[in-house]
Amino acid sequence: MSTQNDGLVDRIGNVGRQAIGNGWTTERFALLGLLALVVVSVGPQFQVYLFTEFLIIALFAVAFNLLYGYTGLLSFGHAMFFGAGAYGLAIVLRDYQSAIAEIVGTGLAPLATFVVGGIAGVALALLIAIPVGYLSVRLEEIYFALITLAFGMLFYSLLLQDPYGLTNGSDGIFVALGGVELGGTEFRLAGRRIYYYITATVVTISIYGIWRIVNSPFGTICKALRESPDRAAALGINVSVHRWMTFIVSALFVSIAGVLIAGFSSVATPNEAHWSMSATPVVATVIGGASYFGGPIVGAFLYHYVRWGISRFPALEAYWELFFGIMLIVVVLYFKQGAAGGLAMVGAWLRNVQAAYDRGGANAATAFVRESIGEKLGSMMSRSTTGRSDDGGTDR
Amino acid sequence: MTTVLRTEELRKQFGDLVATDDVSLEFDDQHVTSIIGPNGAGKTTFYNLLTGVLQPTSGEIWLRKDGDMTEITDAEPHEVARSGLSRSYQITNIFEGLTVRENLQVARIAHEGRTFDMRSRPDADEELNEEIDDLMELTNLTEIAETKCDTLSHGEKRNVEIALALAIEPSVFLLDEPTAGMNPTETEEIVSLIRELNRDIDATFIVTEHDMGVVTDISDRIVVLAEGAVLADGEPEAVLSDERVTEAYLGSETV
Ligand SMILES: Nc1ncnc2c1ncn2[C@@H]1O[C@H](COP(=O)(O)OP(=O)(O)OP(=O)(O)O)[C@@H](O)[C@H]1O
Ligand SMILES: [Mg+2]
Repeated sequence: MSTQNDGLVDRIGNVGRQAIGNGWTTERFALLGLLALVVVSVGPQFQVYLFTEFLIIALFAVAFNLLYGYTGLLSFGHAMFFGAGAYGLAIVLRDYQSAIAEIVGTGLAPLATFVVGGIAGVALALLIAIPVGYLSVRLEEIYFALITLAFGMLFYSLLLQDPYGLTNGSDGIFVALGGVELGGTEFRLAGRRIYYYITATVVTISIYGIWRIVNSPFGTICKALRESPDRAAALGINVSVHRWMTFIVSALFVSIAGVLIAGFSSVATPNEAHWSMSATPVVATVIGGASYFGGPIVGAFLYHYVRWGISRFPALEAYWELFFGIMLIVVVLYFKQGAAGGLAMVGAWLRNVQAAYDRGGANAATAFVRESIGEKLGSMMSRSTTGRSDDGGTDR
Repeated sequence: MTTVLRTEELRKQFGDLVATDDVSLEFDDQHVTSIIGPNGAGKTTFYNLLTGVLQPTSGEIWLRKDGDMTEITDAEPHEVARSGLSRSYQITNIFEGLTVRENLQVARIAHEGRTFDMRSRPDADEELNEEIDDLMELTNLTEIAETKCDTLSHGEKRNVEIALALAIEPSVFLLDEPTAGMNPTETEEIVSLIRELNRDIDATFIVTEHDMGVVTDISDRIVVLAEGAVLADGEPEAVLSDERVTEAYLGSETV
C-alpha cells in the first residue's frame, strides 16, 4: 500500500491507524505493551503511579465495552465486579496470608497470597455474575441498565452494612501486599515500579484476551446480537444464553481490574462498588468511542489525565465534573464515535489536506481547509437541532 | 412425496382480531407453495407462528426433523431454526453494521454450533470462508463481500436477506415477500434465484408474494389466505380462476 511517493501525513496516518485502528496483530500488541513498560518505567515515580491507575481504568472500560459496544447491552452495575475483585483480594490477604505462608514459606507468601487473592476476586465475581447475568439479560435497553444498577446498589449496601462481619463496613479492608524474598533478592510488591510492571503485564494480557474474544466466532455472534437479536435467533442463536455468557466474561475481566485497584490503592472500600464507579467505564467508553476496540482505552486516558490536569489547579478542581459534563455533551452531540472516531476523522481530513496540497500547492490546501471547516461548522449547527451525528465507525 | 411441515387448527388472536383462523395445512417436499392474500390477510403472522416468534392461541405445528415429525408448537425461535426451518423477512432484517461476509459468518457459525468458540478467528478460517464464497457466488454477493450492509442498495440488502436464511441449510425455507420493494430487473433475478435454489438444494420452499407474475412463475401450489383463514388451496390455474379469490383481492384493492 505505501509507496515512496506517499506524503508525510499519509505515512504518519498509516502508523497511527495501525497503532490504534483495525488490524491489530499479536506482535503489535506485544510491541505496544513493551513500549509502555519501558517508556513509563524510566519516568518519575508519580508518573508511573498515574499511568498504573490509567491502565487499570482502561482494562475496566475495555471489559465493560465487550458488553456495551460489542453486544449492545449497557450495564450500569459493573462496579459490582470491580468491587468483587478488590474484596476478594483484600479478604484473602487479611484472613489467609499466614495459612498460605505455612505452605509456600514466608519468602514467597506475599506473592502467593496475591495470586490466590486475585483468583478469589475473579471467583467471587463469577459467583455473582452467574445469577445476576442470568436474571438481567432477559431484559433489554433501559430495563437492562436499571436492573444491573439495582443489583449494583444491592451489592454496595451489602459491603457497607456488612451483615456477616466480612467487609468491615465503610472503612473497608486494608490491603498490604508485603515484600517477597526470593533467593538473595528482596522486593516490595506494592513498590510503585514493581506494581506498575505487574499491572502492565496483567492488563496487556487481559486486553489481548478480550481482543481475541471480540475477533473470535463468539465475538462475531456478539456483534450480531447488537445489530438484530431477533434475526440472530432466527438463525439458531440462543440470544439470552449468549448474552449471559458475554455478561460473565465481561464481569471476569472487570474483576481483574478490581483486584489490581485494591493492590494499587492499598485498600478495598465500598466506593469501588458504588454506582458512581459504574459510570466510570460508561463515560470513558462514550468519550473514547464504543465502536472502536481501542476507544475505551483512549477514553480512559482522556478521563484520567484530564482529571489529573484539572486537579493541578486547585481553583478548578471543584469543577472537574463540569469539565466532564462539557466534554460528554460535545462528544454525544458531535462525535458519536468518540475520540477514537474523531482521531480517525482528523486523520482522513489531514490526508485530504495533503491531497489538495499535492494537487494545487499551498493555496489549494488553505482553500480546502477553509471550505471543509466551514462545512463542518455548518453541519454541526444543523445537527445540534436535527439530531445526532453519525460519522461512520468500524468494529474490531 | 413426504410431508415436511404440518399445522393443525392453528389459531392466533390479537385481542378480538383473529389473525390466523384455524389454519390446517400440510406441505410436502415436492412442491413450491405460494401463500397469497390481500394486505393484513395474516401471511406474516402465519410465518411468525411457524418460527416461534409468536405463541399460537391454540393449535399445533409439526416439523419433520431427522426423519420424524416432531411437534414444535412451543419451540423458541432458535430451536425452530436449529430444527431446520428458516425464514427470510418481508421487512429486511440483516446485521446492518457488519459486512456482507460477516453477516454470513454469523449464520455459518450458528449453523456449525460454534457460537462459544473464543479461540479461532473467522477471518482466518479458510474452510468457513470458502463456504461463504460459494454462497455469495450463488446469491450475487461476491462483489460486495467486504461492504458494510448499511451502505448497500435495497436490492442488495434483499439478497443478503435471502443468503442469510439460506446459509443455515434449512430443510424448509419460508420466504416472506422476497421481491418486496424491488424493481423489475431485481425481481427477475430473485425469481431465477429461487428457481435455481429449488432445483439445486434439498429444501422445501414456501413463499408469500404480492407479485402475481412471480407467483404463477414459481409455484406448483397456491394457498389463499383471507382474514386469517384458508380461502382456497390447490393448483395455480384452479385457484386463480376461483371466483372467491378474485373477489377477496378486488375487495381489498378497492379499499
Ligand atoms: N403483533 C401484533 N399485534 C397486533 N396485531 C397484529 C400483530 N401482528 C399482526 N397483527 C395484525 O394481524 C393482521 C395480519 O397481519 P399480517 O402482518 O400477518 O398480514 P400480512 O398478510 O402479512 O400482510 P401484508 O401483505 O401487508 O404483509 C393485521 O390486521 C395486523 O394488523
Ligand atoms: Mg406480511
